[in-house]
Amino acid sequence: MSLLEVRNLRVTFDTETGPVQAVRGVSFSLGRERLGIVGESGSGKTMTGRAVLRLIRPPGRIEAEAMTFDGQDILNMPEREMRALRGKRIGMVMQDPKYSLNPVMTVGRQLTEGLRLRDRLGRADAVAKAIAALEAVQIRDPHRVMDAYPHELSGGMGQRVMIAMMLIPEPDLLIADEPTSALDVTVQAEVLSILDGLVRDRGMGLIFISHDLRLVARFCDRVLVMHKGLVVEEIAAANLLAAKHPYTQGLLNCLPRIGGPRGPLPVLDRTGV
Amino acid sequence: MTALRVWLGDPNPASRRQARLGQLWLAWRRIRRNRLAMAGLVIVAVLLVVAAFAPWIAPHDPLVQDLSRRLLPPGTPGNLLGTDDFGRDILSRIIFGARITLYIIALVAVTAPVLGLLIGTVAGYFGGWVDATLMRLTDIFLAFPRLILALALVAVLGPGIENAVLAIALTAWPPYARVARAETLTVRSSDYIAAIRLQGASAARIIAGHVVPMCLPSVIIRVTLDMAGVILIAAGLGFLGLGVLPPTPEWGLMISSGRKFLFEQWWVATMPGLAIFIVSLGFNLLGDGLRDVLDPRSASR
Amino acid sequence: MSFIEIDNLTVTFRAQGREVRAVEGVSLSVDERESYGLVGESGSGKSTILRAICGMAPVSGGSIRIAGKVLPAQRGRAFSADVQMVFQDPYASLHPRHTIDRTLSEPLAIHGMPDRDARVVQALVDVGLPPAFRFRYPHQLSGGQRQRVAIARALMLKPRILLLDEPTSALDASVQAEVLNLLSRLREEQGLTFLMVSHDLAVIDHMCDRIMVLQHGRTVEEISRDDLAKANMNTPYARSLFEASADRMLGSTTEPAR
Repeated sequence: MSLLEVRNLRVTFDTETGPVQAVRGVSFSLGRERLGIVGESGSGKTMTGRAVLRLIRPPGRIEAEAMTFDGQDILNMPEREMRALRGKRIGMVMQDPKYSLNPVMTVGRQLTEGLRLRDRLGRADAVAKAIAALEAVQIRDPHRVMDAYPHELSGGMGQRVMIAMMLIPEPDLLIADEPTSALDVTVQAEVLSILDGLVRDRGMGLIFISHDLRLVARFCDRVLVMHKGLVVEEIAAANLLAAKHPYTQGLLNCLPRIGGPRGPLPVLDRTGV
Repeated sequence: MTALRVWLGDPNPASRRQARLGQLWLAWRRIRRNRLAMAGLVIVAVLLVVAAFAPWIAPHDPLVQDLSRRLLPPGTPGNLLGTDDFGRDILSRIIFGARITLYIIALVAVTAPVLGLLIGTVAGYFGGWVDATLMRLTDIFLAFPRLILALALVAVLGPGIENAVLAIALTAWPPYARVARAETLTVRSSDYIAAIRLQGASAARIIAGHVVPMCLPSVIIRVTLDMAGVILIAAGLGFLGLGVLPPTPEWGLMISSGRKFLFEQWWVATMPGLAIFIVSLGFNLLGDGLRDVLDPRSASR
Repeated sequence: MSFIEIDNLTVTFRAQGREVRAVEGVSLSVDERESYGLVGESGSGKSTILRAICGMAPVSGGSIRIAGKVLPAQRGRAFSADVQMVFQDPYASLHPRHTIDRTLSEPLAIHGMPDRDARVVQALVDVGLPPAFRFRYPHQLSGGQRQRVAIARALMLKPRILLLDEPTSALDASVQAEVLNLLSRLREEQGLTFLMVSHDLAVIDHMCDRIMVLQHGRTVEEISRDDLAKANMNTPYARSLFEASADRMLGSTTEPAR
């Protein structure tokens, strides 16, 4: 049975100039695998990820034929139960750790807070579990990081802390929205391999949202290519280079390649799609 | 009307004027949806109309005394809000008083924010010792309670409406300087300022053309929010006999003169007090609404 | 002698009593009409070098010469007619309360140039924007359109050198391709010299003839485009950057079929 099932998801924003559809009917199902959602800005990829957690604020609206997580209907679930689901069974990692971590609390406190409040663990147990989580994301000196404030961490370190925080409750599904876009390429590779290992070892489902088609192709099992709120192509990552849809091909070809030809880069034909 | 609306809402304006009017139109549409701001705007507009047409609106001459009709209660035929201790019609005096209030507000609004903006942007843009000097000067002015400083200035300059305005303006600029400086500090390090500096622009040009427009919204908001305070200080000076001189119908002065009968003839002091209250409220509501419309952070979407 | 000559440049920032060397002893030279790339990760000092050229960073050692002349401490108008810069974030580099027209005519006004109307319209056409956009505000444009305006602004004074600070890293991939094509075309047409900074090795490789790899404010390696394509680098850091580039990631699993 699939972990997450989304059928005909729509996200609509009511603006001054009338309703604007950010997501216009997206369907997919996710098992314990890595699913990539790729698209450019305005494609609705972020809204899709947020809609799964019902994190769309008014004037935005979520509509769908069905949205189930592990057999539970999360479309009509009361907000109270939804809150319990978020964080505990579904985690989310955002692009920039700077905005997701509380700047006036030490990392240690932020990591242990949930454990102590939600799981009613004692102080020593909570700290031990938090340190284990930091070690799981390959932070070498977890004790120092526990006492640090978010601004004292580098971008890559902050992002690892975010991932560790999401992993503490051992969620079944992790939604990662551009988790590595703010990072340097060498750090990016490390963070990705951490995520990769976690998915494999713990059997998590992962939705990896990114603008970077090549990155997603290398990292995920399956890719949804989104454009203007619609999924234009769903394809196994290994076959990405054989993509049929002109938009997917355009996205692939418009990137410069090392040692590639010097002439003008092929650009997307915006009239066609 | 629809043609005008289309012209204003055109995404591709054909001239500078159309672009600017289009932006104003957009701001107007946004403020129109904010009910409280509209209420404030209506109050301020009524104040403007009343002040402009005072001689035609007022039922009586505000200065004519009639001792046979003194201290009449509100609702008396011919004197809707009653009369004061000299038998003058309170409604007429409030209506003419609106002119004085507006005059004070207008004078303060064109002096204090301009001074504050200048000092704040210069201090923020140049930084270093210029900043330190100007901001310590600002601190000195801020350290005095506003009314006390205004009192001292009026005591030196002598009572009178212009001196009262001068005193208020001189005590009102430091907060604007602070706001403008804070805004300048964030703007100064932005890429668009770096770009214009790279184009060889002089400091004066950058401050006037590029920094001030970014500070203006927060200063304008601050001005409208401060207007209530300005009215109250002007009234306070009037109340203490240091502002406008009798028999000019000024709201603060009217409260002051009604103080003697506060328990028996409450309306003499209460009616101008209500006028001050309503106008202050109007400016405050308008200021809050403007904050939502003008604040670049909320308008960027 | 080269057109741009940077010799042993050191930039030191002082913050809270501590000295931070953002750039340390970097030397490079760029010929006229050449396109030179600086690549490195955050904190490598690559953008600081551009800012030092513009007089916007505290140079504590070394020299910068353009066309053989040492730059004056106050860069002045002659400098701005020669050297212009395009910034990384098109959402931050255009004044939010100025129309495109004002943004583009401001440099002309500063330098007292005639025919402003005609020049502004021509500049819009040059960067591939419709003249109808002239009186729009930045918030009415997309990211790519804004970056075109920023490029048009940099070219208003007909400079000979264009400093490009990550000009496409805030843009979508398809928009990036358009802007890179535009920059290449303008360089061809106007005979510009580029000094370009990016964290993306593939972008630098596409745009530049010679590339300098920087790390922690120091030069790691200078490499030609041909050597890069052949993976002919001498230092492990340059190689790790090459390996980590997203392009390589895909290439390692399947070969690009084109």
